[in-house]
Amino acid sequence: MINLLMRYVNLLVLTVSVLVIFSFSLAYLFPGDTLTNISGIVPETDAQRAALEEAFKLNSSIFAQFWHYLENLVSGNWGVSFTSQVGLFEQISIAFPASMELTIYALLVSIVVGIPLGFIGGIWHHKPFDFGVVSFSIVSYSFPVFWLALIFITIFSLQLGLLPLSGRVNLLYDVPHSSGFILWDIWQSDIPNKYDAFIDAIRHLILPTASIALVTTAIFIRFTRRAIMDEMEKGYIDAAKSRGFTTKQIFFKHGLRNALVPILPLMAMQVSTLITNAMVVETIFSWPGIGNWLIQAIYQRDYPAIRIGMLVVSVFVVTLTITIEFISRAIDPARDKFERATI
Amino acid sequence: MNPNSKSRYIKSTLLLSFSVIVMLGCSKQKTEITQAGITFCSESSPASFNPQLDTSSTTADASSHQVYDRLLEFNTENGQIEPGLASSWLVSNDSLTYTFQLRKDVAFHDTEYFTPTRFFNADDVVFSIDRWRVNSHPYHDVSGGNYPYFQSLDLKNTIKNVTRINGYRVEISLFKPDSSFLANLATDFSVILSAEYAMQLIESGSPSDLDKKPIGTGPFKFISYRKDQFIRYQRHQDYFLDTTGPENLVFDITPKSSLRVAKLITGECDAVAFPSQNDLEIIRERDDLTLLEKPGLNVGFWAFNTSKPPFDDPKVRRALALAIDKTSLLEAVYLGQATRAKSLVPSASWAHQSNMQEIGYNPITARKLLDEAGIPNDFTMNIWAMPVQRAYNPNAMKMAQLMSSYLADVGVTVNIVSYDWARFRQNLTAGMHDSVLIGWSADNGDPDNFYRPLLTCAAIPSGTNRAMWCNPEYDALIESALNTENSNERRLFYHRANQIIFNEAPLIPIAHAFQYQAVNNQIEGMLINPFGGIRFDDVVRKQ
Amino acid sequence: MPQFNLYQEEFHPSPLMHVWLEFKRSHFALIGFAVLLLFCAIAILAPLLAPYDPNIQNTNTILLPPAWEGNGSIAHLFGTDALGRDVFSRTLYGCRVTFGSSVFLVLISVFCGVALGTFAGMSKGVKSSILNHLLDSLMAIPTLLIAIIIVAILGTGLWNSMWAIVLALIPQFVHQTRNFVREEMKKDYILLDKLDGTSSPRIFWSSILPSMFELLVVQGTMALSVAIIDISALGFLNLGAQNPVVELGASLSQSLEVAYSAPWLIALPGFCIFLMVLSINIVGEGLRSALRNRLVH
Repeated sequence: MINLLMRYVNLLVLTVSVLVIFSFSLAYLFPGDTLTNISGIVPETDAQRAALEEAFKLNSSIFAQFWHYLENLVSGNWGVSFTSQVGLFEQISIAFPASMELTIYALLVSIVVGIPLGFIGGIWHHKPFDFGVVSFSIVSYSFPVFWLALIFITIFSLQLGLLPLSGRVNLLYDVPHSSGFILWDIWQSDIPNKYDAFIDAIRHLILPTASIALVTTAIFIRFTRRAIMDEMEKGYIDAAKSRGFTTKQIFFKHGLRNALVPILPLMAMQVSTLITNAMVVETIFSWPGIGNWLIQAIYQRDYPAIRIGMLVVSVFVVTLTITIEFISRAIDPARDKFERATI
Repeated sequence: MNPNSKSRYIKSTLLLSFSVIVMLGCSKQKTEITQAGITFCSESSPASFNPQLDTSSTTADASSHQVYDRLLEFNTENGQIEPGLASSWLVSNDSLTYTFQLRKDVAFHDTEYFTPTRFFNADDVVFSIDRWRVNSHPYHDVSGGNYPYFQSLDLKNTIKNVTRINGYRVEISLFKPDSSFLANLATDFSVILSAEYAMQLIESGSPSDLDKKPIGTGPFKFISYRKDQFIRYQRHQDYFLDTTGPENLVFDITPKSSLRVAKLITGECDAVAFPSQNDLEIIRERDDLTLLEKPGLNVGFWAFNTSKPPFDDPKVRRALALAIDKTSLLEAVYLGQATRAKSLVPSASWAHQSNMQEIGYNPITARKLLDEAGIPNDFTMNIWAMPVQRAYNPNAMKMAQLMSSYLADVGVTVNIVSYDWARFRQNLTAGMHDSVLIGWSADNGDPDNFYRPLLTCAAIPSGTNRAMWCNPEYDALIESALNTENSNERRLFYHRANQIIFNEAPLIPIAHAFQYQAVNNQIEGMLINPFGGIRFDDVVRKQ
Repeated sequence: MPQFNLYQEEFHPSPLMHVWLEFKRSHFALIGFAVLLLFCAIAILAPLLAPYDPNIQNTNTILLPPAWEGNGSIAHLFGTDALGRDVFSRTLYGCRVTFGSSVFLVLISVFCGVALGTFAGMSKGVKSSILNHLLDSLMAIPTLLIAIIIVAILGTGLWNSMWAIVLALIPQFVHQTRNFVREEMKKDYILLDKLDGTSSPRIFWSSILPSMFELLVVQGTMALSVAIIDISALGFLNLGAQNPVVELGASLSQSLEVAYSAPWLIALPGFCIFLMVLSINIVGEGLRSALRNRLVH
């Protein structure tokens, strides 16, 4: 166990340091002034330049610079955005929870919809219902998520006028920022009309969540269905059948658990897909998340922001993956090390 | 659970979730908060909250009439000058001394970051004017020290002194008579800041907050701002005028014009700036929306950076202009909602010259001129297309695309460049462009407001002369025109200036366009302010 | 006339033939295959099929609706866009760019992935272990995210986004190849080769690669659908193809500004991407179940 933990910690440290070194070197690789790339500030005078160089230790050796960079990263001193001159840490701490919120709700929706559907498909496989489920999942899986979002907007916002199409909550509700998760923030704030704001925030959530949940739901359906089908073909099920247990009994006592446990980590891995899709969809729904923010930074060639944004997102995804892998291996050591999500 | 009950369970779940969605969808009616507030969808983020620092109408919209007041105001109906913070004023017989009597009991905003201890008085007026006028003023260099509007008019060298006579009386003396001086004090840019707040900021060591967290006397106080997302204002309870404005005002920053209209349709915006030309018909057809329109005092143009070779050669500029078919630009970009521009001023102005000749469309001559100027066949240039919509150019990107196909016909390859609006103008002022699609909206009705800021030498450092073009002969003509009282004589000076612009072609006028705003019918009191920024002090939502 | 068969010879289809026979039993798979062939044809023949140059702007005909609507014109089957360009031609060219570049980049990633994977699979020791570990964590990152990050660094453009997606796709091919080669190397027929003194490259070429072919095809179709979605998503985000390259995702995002007055400009490119991905997924699914069935029977 300790051995396993050490191996995964090792892997995590290795990967994260590769990413950190890479992001550090980007300050040099990006076009333009290294000082501006690393600090986000365009020095106006020589005195200011000297002060900044001193502050970022640009005159010291490259190792000292890197060490300083690391210290700044850890202490949350991430420099400022080149275009808005606002602290990057502050911006990311607002944008990142917004994306996570979308991701988490979409994950929940996918689980609630995907697992039961895949489950029924798996039991009744090659029956009409299963056929419907499989077709649904192939079709949903083929939707380009940005197009789907536009279709949803056209139908539900513009034609039917049911749901809002942009932002997290009506801006007239001045929700104070604390955790960054809008529903939670509204819940524990003391703004007037809290209930209305809450409903309003949920209405804003529906379309973006649905757009990114569809693809993941399709993936979950297929995971579950295949896992159940494979499990039901196994020998012990036949053995139990021959002893006279009903299919229902066998299934709920043994099959279900055995089928679901190995695929749960695979599903958790889908968080990274969800984040990516959330990043794309955010630009359509004007959702103030990390994707919208990073893509704006790319348009503006805001190198400090790109560098930090890339680091945050990739470190998050890698850490998440390695953690999930570790947990699933710790729970189920017999699991094939190379087992991966295929759909 | 048998499969049958399972499917029933699923059915009921689906039904439940569907009904929840419908319920949520139907709870669209306005709640207390949304009823008391107004959301305006603006097109871009302001560069700061002090219009002295910027000529962009985005900055003016976000601050001039919301947070601040001016000494004088334009009547939005007829353009007459009316009392603002100055209740009355006196002009001496030689037109060199102006005395302003100030209003009493005018309160500054009381916010989380500043609590005023006194009412507005003469110190605030002296501070606000001296900030841009006096180079040694402690605030002059804060936030860049660039005051483009005043610099382009060279007001610094017009004003001799600003003196406080007593707490509520200020005297401004001039070096030379200036017939447009009062009008300049009424423009969006001549706002009155709080001297007390400024002193407090100097003590706390963050003077630039004066332009980021504004304090003024205006109908709304600033609450918060997040770049590219929103600006929040709250009603100023102690405003010196009786207004019917909303309790809360939000600027929802939405750069895409189609998205703004979509949000207007779904009711997420109560009013939108610059609706896309393509959507005007849709807005007109809908019963719940109103389209406000007014002929604009503006001009959209294509300016060459004349400080950069080969664009310093008039022949090259003329050739490039010859390669463009203006008619198709007017059709495709303005969809016919604009008049063709031949000179700088639109026909609404008395200085308009209707018989002005213009550079026509002739690609053959264009290529010939380019050959004569020694421009090779694979010449590459850039066209900067502004990222925001303006009345004078509702879609610069599209115009640049159309132009690039015309220029390709004469063997010129075009790169289209665009940045975020604040950076776009910064880089333009630095002269990084080859050519730019931009324009100008008048701040007052005087033709000088077109000719001077757009093309005089003094307007180059202030960043309103996008052609970076300096011609002494032209400057002399504009100067003589301003010193002339007789408008017929003045017109002749401007016509001679038009001829120089035509010969030299530092910029190619394209269109004078209509100004549009779209509002939800629940909103009353919105109007297009022809002389500057948008105002919400009398806007109400119908119950 | 009934055929007289002297020898009761059984028909033994080749493995590939076998897969095809299984594959065509599913009508959906066949339809998907036909649609896929159609897109291949469009990708190759777009310049012949398109009635107009996709970048010719005609300001006299702006935002014409498609021919099947009341005031549409048969001269422009799918109507025209905000710059008066023919949407039918643009769609054809868009399919060509989106589909063609996706196929191209998948081929490159297969090639690089197989080369690296074979190297990793046939070698042992530290280098292989480090490579494997890093690849493992890389594979978990969605390709689109990697592509966005790479484009952020390299700058926007079709070529940059293609390189980005190639880099993002390679790890999964490396991974698959490495595992496959590992497993195969343990098998007896390879041992036999080894005992015969065959060199490693030869073992790979003549023994491993042929048996890996099917795996690569299945993996390739999956990668292709991912590549199409990614390249059009990058185009949509304005990070990929830039004017004057006509790409479906980019056309879609350019049409957003007229979305309300010209909804077909949103519907058509989106539907093309959807159909492309759907047909590839159906074919991939058909292939996979055909392979599975062949192994079962």
